[in-house]
Amino acid sequence: MGDRTDVLQGTLALMILKTLETMGPQHGYGIARRIEQVSGDALRMNQGTLYPALVKLEQQGWIKTKWGVSDQNRRARFYSLTPRGARQLASEAERWGRVSAIVGRFLEPQP
Amino acid sequence: MNHLRVLAARVRELFGGARLERDLSDELQTHLDYLTDEHVRRGLSRDEARRAAYRDLGGLEQTREMVRDRRGLPFLETLGRDIRFGTRLLAKTPGFTAAAVCTLALGIGANAAIFSVVDAVLFQSLPYPDPHQLVSIWEVSQKGGDRIAVAPANYVDYVRRADAFSSLGAYARAGVNLTGDGTPERVPIEEVTASYFATLGVMPMIGGPFQPEDNQEAGSRRVILTHALWQRRFGGEASVLDRTILLDGRPYRVAGVMPPEFRAASDAGAIEPVGALVPVFFEPSVLANRQEHLIEVIGRVRPGVPVDAARANLAAVSDGLAREFPDAATVRASLAPLGAEQVKSVRELLVLLLAAVGLVLLIACANVASLVVARSMSRQREMAVRFALGATRRRVMSELITQSLLLSAAGAGVGLALAYWTKHVLVSLAPASFPYIQRASLDLRVLGFAAVLTVVTGLLFGLFPAWQISRTRPVEALRTSDRSSVGTWAMRNRTALMAIEVALSTLLLVGAGLMLRSFMAVNAVPLGFDPTSVLATNVVLPPQRYATPQAKLDFYEALATRVATIPGVRGVTYSNRLPLRGNWTSGFAFENAAPEPGAAYVPTGVQPSAGFQAVSPDYFAVFKIPLLRGRLLASADRTGAPGVAVVNAAFVRAFFKEANPLGQRLRRGQKMPSIEIVGVVADIRRGGRTSEIEPQLYLPAAQIELYPLSLSDLAIRVDGDGRSYGDAVRAAIWAIDPNQPVTNVRTLEEVLALRLAERRFQTFLFALFAVLALALAVVGVYSVVDYSVRQRTAEIGLRIALGADSPGILRWLIGQSFWTVSAGALAGLAGAYWLSRFVRSLLFGIEPTDAVTYLGAAVVLAAAALLASYLAARRAIRVDPVAALR
Repeated sequence: MGDRTDVLQGTLALMILKTLETMGPQHGYGIARRIEQVSGDALRMNQGTLYPALVKLEQQGWIKTKWGVSDQNRRARFYSLTPRGARQLASEAERWGRVSAIVGRFLEPQP
Repeated sequence: MNHLRVLAARVRELFGGARLERDLSDELQTHLDYLTDEHVRRGLSRDEARRAAYRDLGGLEQTREMVRDRRGLPFLETLGRDIRFGTRLLAKTPGFTAAAVCTLALGIGANAAIFSVVDAVLFQSLPYPDPHQLVSIWEVSQKGGDRIAVAPANYVDYVRRADAFSSLGAYARAGVNLTGDGTPERVPIEEVTASYFATLGVMPMIGGPFQPEDNQEAGSRRVILTHALWQRRFGGEASVLDRTILLDGRPYRVAGVMPPEFRAASDAGAIEPVGALVPVFFEPSVLANRQEHLIEVIGRVRPGVPVDAARANLAAVSDGLAREFPDAATVRASLAPLGAEQVKSVRELLVLLLAAVGLVLLIACANVASLVVARSMSRQREMAVRFALGATRRRVMSELITQSLLLSAAGAGVGLALAYWTKHVLVSLAPASFPYIQRASLDLRVLGFAAVLTVVTGLLFGLFPAWQISRTRPVEALRTSDRSSVGTWAMRNRTALMAIEVALSTLLLVGAGLMLRSFMAVNAVPLGFDPTSVLATNVVLPPQRYATPQAKLDFYEALATRVATIPGVRGVTYSNRLPLRGNWTSGFAFENAAPEPGAAYVPTGVQPSAGFQAVSPDYFAVFKIPLLRGRLLASADRTGAPGVAVVNAAFVRAFFKEANPLGQRLRRGQKMPSIEIVGVVADIRRGGRTSEIEPQLYLPAAQIELYPLSLSDLAIRVDGDGRSYGDAVRAAIWAIDPNQPVTNVRTLEEVLALRLAERRFQTFLFALFAVLALALAVVGVYSVVDYSVRQRTAEIGLRIALGADSPGILRWLIGQSFWTVSAGALAGLAGAYWLSRFVRSLLFGIEPTDAVTYLGAAVVLAAAALLASYLAARRAIRVDPVAALR
């Protein structure tokens, strides 16, 4: 279990930022749902692990929070991307693309 | 950059505590609600959906914990929690806490107090600017031997030739009579060169320093006062500048006043501080003779020049002088840092004291560790439960160590209060000659030392038990309801700690025993004279008013007549050097160079020398020195009558062996009068109990042509306590000369006590630490035996039920601690045997391996330990077998 969390920790931040960029302000459940959907329900996570990651992103100033009322009339805490967060997402996404391309080339069957 | 932002955010969160928690709870609740709804939509019942939601989240409490760990500064919060928890826990066991805190307070307090003294004396720098550049310079005979003062003729050449120094200064300590305006007094002074000020780097705060021309003539009558004398004698008025004061009856113009923090170069180790500085003047005859060793020299090494290089430079100059001047060939100059030189006499004592007090702290640590071990046993099950619930080992250990540190911090707090008081006692008990001890204070350095000690102590006694307990295996600990295995573990550790305590206490007991035996040995040395009910005083007559030896003699004869009439006075004597007040040694030659066989034996090639002392006829009666042969000095032995002397038994042993010394004649020099030996008296230890007996001649004070040294001391034998006669003696002196200072009015017993002050100080401290160590060890033994009795209540009950009688039970319990105590004591004795060599220089009359001391220490320790065991074991015989076995 420890291993899976660690892997998630590295990529979870990126996924959260991307989710917020695509969907706009979201509460914790919404983000979790979205990540599971996008991964085609391949990624079953302990949704609780989302929250420490959110706290960390907030401490880094990449996201901000605000209490509001959700579509189902529930009082919920909404997370949204800050401009700094948007810049961070751009550079992280670009880096991730490069890394995965490199790793992908290694894993392709060699001629 | 981003790290800083995160840190700032986390610090902000420290203050958001309750609100953040509430927000998190609300947020997670919402999340759970969504998940529940989702599961309900998939067809689960409300309850099942709720459970599934918790599962999806991965546990509500776990999530909270993860977020909490991410928020704020978990380290600080954990620490705060541990401290609060530890404090509550310690408050719940006030007996244990009080015992541990008191023990630690004794250990840490004693260490802080001793360290404040060691720091003041050994570690703090000299009270001069750039103190590391200052060196003390001396000369030493090429034949080997003690350091001697520097010859002014050489000094002048050192100044000229040694270029490693930016400045050299010379001084000679002396005393003068200060008269006019109030009571005449004897003031210690330094005769100094003008360069003295630049060398030390100190300047007068009023007026200016001496100029080189002040050292050029005999008649420069300028004086610089110290701040203390200026305040005391001249009311601290600035108008004192250029005023004229009388020193030895001669007028001196005040040229300046030194600042309050000034310490004269000769003050370290002196009983009385210097009161004034006057210019030194080297007579042409002195500058022409390189064997007149008269002055102390200090130097300031040039910036950047190492002390070793300066020493080499000085040695080269000294070698050069030896080649050039035959009369300089017998000595060489050397130097050492001034700071180290000034405290050399007490360095060893202080280092040993620090070691001794460190041992006391170690014993205190062992004691507390033993208590902690006993306590952790009772927490074994609690620990097991916590481990079972997932507490990490690291977490538990850090909590236990926090508790240890709490204890040692509390101990340090109480200990520092103790140290504050102890330091005062130490300083007031220390001999007046102890250099720099007055500087001792509980300053930041001492507090820092105490802080380090606190942490080290806390780790020392806390780490091992904490490590042990954190190894608890939850399953086993929870399964075995019986505690005996844990009890055995605790007992084994406590027994080992007890052995360590006993060993360390033995070390200290042996150390204190050696000091005590030395002290007793010193006091057992016969003086040869009777010091009780004798009052002595210095009456140093200024040469201006009493220019000739005859004038001085007249004064003393008049004084003796007057003092003899004081009721209660049994006898009066005067002298140029009383016992315990120095001596004067002179060479001499026997007149009959080729004596009869056996007479006037003198080892070939050595000029005979002996102590010479001029005394009035009643001297032998006042000091109760018995006559062995011939006659004593009489009042008829005056100028005009033949020169006579009485010698001591050591003189006869040294120069006559078995032959008869009476009637033999000698002279101090070719043109000096002839002296006939007319009597032999018993030996006395002139310099006090630790001094050697040397050949001694007593000359009649009234034969002033026989001796060059002025009469200066008066002694009276009285009925009762000598101290009560001081005022009457002063009155008698001032009736003859109201301007005459009277100093050192002390009974001989007081003088002897002063002589022993340093030894008494060191003996007292070592004894104090040994008693402290013994007390701690006894408490340790008691608590271990007591613990073992509690542990074995069932076993003891069984034994009693099976018919063991009380003495048998006691023997069995005491026997068990006896072997531990014996092993510890033996280890301690072996350690002492090996370590005692380091105290050799502090001992007198006994070897560091003195068997009586070792035996005594072992007996005292064994007796104390057995008593403690007995007291603790007594509880066992009151065990009710029925209750114990039920």
